[in-house]
Amino acid sequence: MYNSAVRGKLIDGDKSFSQISKEILAPIHAKTPLWWYAAMLVSLGMFGFGLYCKYITVSTGIGTWGVNNSVAWGWAIINFVWWIGIGHAGTAFSIFLLILRQKWRTAINRAAEAMTVVAVFCASLFPLLHMGRPWLFFFIFPYPNTRGPLWVNFNSPLFWDFVAISAYLLISASFWYFGMVPDFATIRDTAKSKIKKAVYGFFAFGWTGSSREWLRFEGLSFVLGGIAAVLVVSVHSIVSTDFAVSVQAGWHTTIFPPYFVIGAIFSGFAMVLTLVITMRGLYNMNDFITDRHVDAVCRILIFISLIMGTAYMTEIFIAWYSASEYETYMFFKNRLFGDYAFQFWAMFTANAVIPQLFWFKAVRKRMWIVFIISIIINIGMWFERFNIVVTTLSRDYLPAAWANYSPTYVEIGFFVGTLGMFLAGVLLFFRYIPMIAISELKSVAKFDKPNNGQLKAKSHE
Amino acid sequence: MSKKYILGVFDDEATLVDAFEKLKDKGVMPVEVYTPYPVHEILEGMPIKTRITHAAFFYGLFAALGILGFLTYAASISWPLHYGGKPFNAFPSFIVVTIVATILSITLLTLFTFSARAKVFPGKKAEIFHERATDDKFVMVFDEAGIANDSESVKSILTEHGKIE
Repeated sequence: MYNSAVRGKLIDGDKSFSQISKEILAPIHAKTPLWWYAAMLVSLGMFGFGLYCKYITVSTGIGTWGVNNSVAWGWAIINFVWWIGIGHAGTAFSIFLLILRQKWRTAINRAAEAMTVVAVFCASLFPLLHMGRPWLFFFIFPYPNTRGPLWVNFNSPLFWDFVAISAYLLISASFWYFGMVPDFATIRDTAKSKIKKAVYGFFAFGWTGSSREWLRFEGLSFVLGGIAAVLVVSVHSIVSTDFAVSVQAGWHTTIFPPYFVIGAIFSGFAMVLTLVITMRGLYNMNDFITDRHVDAVCRILIFISLIMGTAYMTEIFIAWYSASEYETYMFFKNRLFGDYAFQFWAMFTANAVIPQLFWFKAVRKRMWIVFIISIIINIGMWFERFNIVVTTLSRDYLPAAWANYSPTYVEIGFFVGTLGMFLAGVLLFFRYIPMIAISELKSVAKFDKPNNGQLKAKSHE
Repeated sequence: MSKKYILGVFDDEATLVDAFEKLKDKGVMPVEVYTPYPVHEILEGMPIKTRITHAAFFYGLFAALGILGFLTYAASISWPLHYGGKPFNAFPSFIVVTIVATILSITLLTLFTFSARAKVFPGKKAEIFHERATDDKFVMVFDEAGIANDSESVKSILTEHGKIE
C-alpha cells in the first residue's frame, strides 16, 4: 500500500493488535486515579464560577461587562474567536492529514477532534450571552416571523457566522462520533463488566467490523473528510468577515480570511500539542504518540509561525502602502505604540518569534519546553484577538468617541468558566473515551513491516 | 441461528488476505469477513459495492440548488427589503450560506444513508460471530450449506493460514 521511506515506524515497542487495544483502553478499564478527581473538582469549580458570572450577566445585563458604546465587542468576541480558532485545528488536523494520506495522524486525530467539539461548544456560549437576551436567540433562525422583515438578513456576516458555527458544531461532533463507533465496539467486546458492555454496546450502534460496514465507513470518511476540509477553511473565513466586511480601519482588509484561517490552525495545533503531551505524561502513551509525532507537529508550527509573521508584516506594510490616513494611524500609532502596544508586541513575540525556537532539535525533543511554547502560542493567539478587536474599536474615526476597554470580573469569570468547561470535557474524554483511534492505529501498526507485503506477493506468483 | 457456519480465524492481515485470495480463485466466497480495521484487499474482493459517494454528490447538488433558491426567493420575491443599498438578489453574499449549509446537508444526509445502508444505528444489537473480531482477530464466515461441495478444500486452506472455530 502506501510505503514511505521518509517516516519510520509509527508505533514503538513492536505491539500486537490486542496489546494496542489493551494499552489504549487501559485508562477506561482502570480505577479512576485520584488526580483525576482533583482536576475535575478544580475544573468544575471554575465552571461554577463561570455559571455565577453568567447568572449576573443575564439577571443584571450586559452593563456588568466592561464593554461600552465604542468598544461594544470586547471580551466576548475575543474569546469567541479564540475558542473557535482552537476548535478549528482538530478538524484541520485530521482532515488535511487524512487527505494528504499522512498515516501519523492516526495517533493524534481523536484527541484533536475531541478538543474541537469541546472548544466549539465553549466558543458558541460567547455570542449567545453577548446577545444580552439569550433566551431570544432563536430570532436568528431563518423562519418566517412577524417581527418586521419576514426573514432574517441573509447578507449579514453575523447570520453567516451563526450558520457556520452551528454547522461546524454538528459536523465536527458527528465526524468525531462516527470515528469512534468501531472503538466503542472494541470496548464492548473486551470489557469485563456488564454495565460497560451495555453502555458502550449502545454507543457502538451494533458495529461488528464486517466488510459491508467497513466499505461504507470508508466511503463515509472519504466524503466527510473531503467536504469538512472546505468547511474548515470557510468557517473561519466567515468569522473573519464579521470584521472584514465592516468599514473599520484595521479590519477592512482582504488579508483577513487567510490570516484568520492560518491563525486558527496555529492556535489549534498548539493546543493539540498541549493536549497530547499531557496524554503522554499522564497515561504513558509514549509508544503511540512518539517523540517523532511531537517533532512533526513542531515542524508544522515553525512553518505556520512564519506565515503568521508574514501576515503581521503584510498588514503593517499595506497600512503604509495604502496611504490611508486612518489605516496608517491604526497601525503605526495605535497598534504598535498606542495604549495596547503591550498586547501587540506580546502577540508578535509569542506567535512569530518564540515558535522559531522549534528550528532547534534540542528544543523539539525536550517535552517540557515544547509544552511551555505550546502554551505561549495559545496566549499569543489570545493577544492577537485582543489586539484586533480592541485597538480598532477603541480608536474610531471620531476622536470624541474614543474609549478604552478593560474587562470586569464578570467577563473574566465567564472566560474562566469556559476554561473550566474545556478542562472538564477533556478530563471526561481521558476517562471514558479511547484517547487514540484504535482501529486506525491498528491499520498502521504493520506499516513498517515488509513481511506483510511479501506474503501477499508470494501468493500471486 | 438455524444455519450452520464455519469460521476461519486469522491472526493478521497478510494470512487473511492470502487465504481469501486462494479461496476466491477456487470460486468460494465467504458470507462475510470481520476485521478490526478496514483491509482493502477484502473490501475490493468481496462482491459488495457502495454508492455512498455518488449519493453524497447528489445530496450536495440538490442541497446547493435548494438553499440558493430559498435565499433568492426569500430575499427578492417573498419580502424584498433594502439593506444598505444592496440589490435584493445579492448573489455573492448568498454564496457563503449556501456553501456552509450545503456541507451540513451533505454530512447529515450521508450519515443517515450510512446508518441505513450499513445498518449501524442506535439501539441495534450486534450479531457477533467472534468476540475478538473487533480486537485482534480477522474472521471469515462461511455458510456450511453453501460450501458443501468443496468443504474439504476450504477447510484445508483455512487451516493452512489460520484455524477453524
